[in-house]
Amino acid sequence: MHIPDGLMDPLVAGIGWIVALTFLGYAIYRINGKVDDKTIPFMAILGAGIFVAQMLNFPIGGGTTGHLLGAALAVFLLGPWGALVIISVILVIQALIFGDGGLTAMGLNIMNMAVIGSLVAWVTIRIFPKKHEKLAVPLAAWTSVFVASLFTAIELSTSYSISGGIYGISAAIAFPTMLGYHAVIGIGEGIITGAIIYYLAKVAPETLKMQIGAKSAEVTQ
Amino acid sequence: MNLERRYAKAIIGIVAIFAVGLVLFFIFSAGYGDGLERTMEEAGAEEQDPVYSAPLDYGEDWPTAFLAGIVGFAVVFVVVIAYLKISNRRKSEARGEK
Repeated sequence: MHIPDGLMDPLVAGIGWIVALTFLGYAIYRINGKVDDKTIPFMAILGAGIFVAQMLNFPIGGGTTGHLLGAALAVFLLGPWGALVIISVILVIQALIFGDGGLTAMGLNIMNMAVIGSLVAWVTIRIFPKKHEKLAVPLAAWTSVFVASLFTAIELSTSYSISGGIYGISAAIAFPTMLGYHAVIGIGEGIITGAIIYYLAKVAPETLKMQIGAKSAEVTQ
Repeated sequence: MNLERRYAKAIIGIVAIFAVGLVLFFIFSAGYGDGLERTMEEAGAEEQDPVYSAPLDYGEDWPTAFLAGIVGFAVVFVVVIAYLKISNRRKSEARGEK
């Protein structure tokens, strides 16, 4: 879901930068100095692992692949603000070192995957009934991918409309294809996130309770 | 089992899952586009030249992709560690702690 250079209208890309930097600044403020030294290596490993996971394109059929977003996984382990910062770091490194995602579109990529992905996963976890919390893991993961793709479709169609078709993709194509593919990709995200969270709940349940800079949204076994 | 050992076990498990997945997923998915790329294809939107040329890419085969994964893993790990350590140190200094 990494948006390349030249796809979005400059105005839309600019709005993406403003939204991304606003939320990223707030997230940095929230986690600043609140990370226990003992958990820093775990956060770093998680970030590095999500980077690798985003490289892994799993097939969803029809000659299409998807990759893990990782926002929901990071939210379960670090809370929304820690997740937002870690996913943003990953996106910046992907763009600057590996050319994955355009430099001009980096604001939108951070907005879609780090900001929206993390906050949607967090809200889903918070509002999900406690007695069905095991379902919250895959559902939050699926929802984070689906809503991030919805925003990407909005950005594509807005770019198309305001540029007269020079940038973006028409709404008639952007919405059904983006949402259709990502509804399926989200299932993969839900399965992978669920497997990792349930593994961690068994071997190291403390890792699910770090929730840096946010009130706890614990997941128990 | 103490906390550090449980963290270590958790970390090893996550790394193992990703390491195995990197090879398996690349084998099964090489050459296919992701959801956004397929949407662009269906709309006839061609990818433009990037405004910045990155020094590396993810590679065309699984050995180079694996190498790119290791490089990326190391860079993210170092950047996150460095950022959080500096952040904690600044906070401690602001509080007047040694």
